[in-house]
Amino acid sequence: MTTTNKSAALYEVQNVSKSYGSVVALSGVSLKIHAGEVIGLVGDNGAGKSTLVKVLSGAHQPSEGKVLLEGIERSWSSPRAALEAGVETLYQDSGLAPHLSVSSNVFLGRELYVKGILGKLGFLAKKKMDQVAHENLEKVGIAVPQSNRSVSQLSGGQRQAVAIGRAVSWASKVIILDEPTNHLGARQAGEVLAVIKAAKERGLGVIFISHTLPHVLQVTDRIVVLRLGKIVADAPTSTFDAESLLGTITGLID
Amino acid sequence: MNSISDRAKAIASNQQAMLLFVLLAMVAFFTSQNPIFFSNAVFGNIISDWSPIVLIAVGQAFVIISGGIDLSVGSTVAISGVVSALAIRSMTEDGHGATYVLTIGFIISALIGFLVGAINAFLITKANMVPFIATLVTMGAGAGLAIVLTGGGPIGGGPDAAIQLSVAKVGPFSYPGLAIVALVIILGLILHKARFGLYTFAIGSNEFAARAAGINTKRHLGKIYMLSGVLAGFAGFYYYLRLGSGAPTSGLGGELQAIAAVVIGGAALTGGEGRLSGTVLGALILTTVTSGLIIINVAANWKQVVVAILIAVAVLLQESRSKAKGSKSLSNLFKKKK
Repeated sequence: MTTTNKSAALYEVQNVSKSYGSVVALSGVSLKIHAGEVIGLVGDNGAGKSTLVKVLSGAHQPSEGKVLLEGIERSWSSPRAALEAGVETLYQDSGLAPHLSVSSNVFLGRELYVKGILGKLGFLAKKKMDQVAHENLEKVGIAVPQSNRSVSQLSGGQRQAVAIGRAVSWASKVIILDEPTNHLGARQAGEVLAVIKAAKERGLGVIFISHTLPHVLQVTDRIVVLRLGKIVADAPTSTFDAESLLGTITGLID
Repeated sequence: MNSISDRAKAIASNQQAMLLFVLLAMVAFFTSQNPIFFSNAVFGNIISDWSPIVLIAVGQAFVIISGGIDLSVGSTVAISGVVSALAIRSMTEDGHGATYVLTIGFIISALIGFLVGAINAFLITKANMVPFIATLVTMGAGAGLAIVLTGGGPIGGGPDAAIQLSVAKVGPFSYPGLAIVALVIILGLILHKARFGLYTFAIGSNEFAARAAGINTKRHLGKIYMLSGVLAGFAGFYYYLRLGSGAPTSGLGGELQAIAAVVIGGAALTGGEGRLSGTVLGALILTTVTSGLIIINVAANWKQVVVAILIAVAVLLQESRSKAKGSKSLSNLFKKKK
């Protein structure tokens, strides 16, 4: 009991399978993530990464297998349920609502209300949200000049920074980042990787999904390779180099 | 530091200023053509025309900002007014008092509006129809039903107090007109200051992001179409009070005027953008043009041409603005939401 407690995973899937009709997207996948650990989830297109992300984020329910958060079996009815339990997901290209302000985006779905009866009626504390959003983004290492600015006025890199900052600042346990460095320049990607490291230091479990293998090798503690719906490798990052990782993904190395 | 948001605010307030300028220019023009235009009687008439239009335009603004469209509002005005009139006539024949029958009539028209809105909500959020088609269906069904129920003519036979209510009492406003102004102000606060409005903008801006943030986007959209329906029901009752009868032709073409008011008011047909004050002014511009053209003796049918031109200009301005910002194109309106 004590030994299992010590190595108890923060977030875990056990023997998870997921089929869409006759198509098997995931088969018998087991995966653990510990607090303060960054794992890289890699695989070719169609390897099952997106399906696994959907299971982890609560968007889809597995056909078979279990999902456990802090050792307790959970069955997410919706992404909202996972969010509320502390599992935050940044979807690839889900982006932000461009017409809304930075702070409205940061607080979307978790608004702060004015005090008293008006607050009960749903009236928003915009000034307070502007201020707190700014502080929260700064805390995770993202400097956006003004949080009452509309997102459409930001550059692509700034938008992605806001999206990541939003996810990281809300996550209390696990953060799932699906291709967060896609379409970013080298400097901006570097900033994103720094945010991931900061999240790790805060004790979050980070799941980093990416096609950009140098980024994965640079920032993760452990790499999990998916191929055709199965996990074909799960080992410390130090055991991989760029060549062996690519070989494992493509199946040239077994 | 503040320059960008200040400039954005300046442009937004300029839009309202521009609308106000257009309105004042119209008043000046019509007055110069016929001085009778500048009178309490004409202003009272404009406000009476404006009151039901602004109701359906405000509902339309919520719908359009959420990225949808509601073509059924004109028919909803007709069917709610007609059903309400039939109920009022039958209650009056049974000997009930004016206050009682008008109260029940008001509730009935609101309920009919709610019902049409609920059908739209069902078709859009449960049957996954695009709003354009779903509300086209209810538009046709509602208009047809209004004619079937009435045989095509107006339904009178209510209490005389109905007409009395629509007489101007406070400046150009009747009491129902004042109630509409109060309602519009409350809805403006809800759209721009409260969560309901924020979610409306969020869904219109990026429905996927809104859903990923945990917002129940379908339920929210459903509520918006129900709100639009209820407001159209109110407008139906307003026409009943004004005419003393419920006619299947009341609200005819109302959807076009509502959409026009919203677009002239600066909202984007692609969603995520707009201000209710713009919609209110847009409706006022439309009704001012209509009254003005009659007063300067332009044939009534020209009204539709002028309204069409106003819409075209507003949409062209909108498109050029969104092109400048690199927003999505109007053609998205006809694509299914993922």
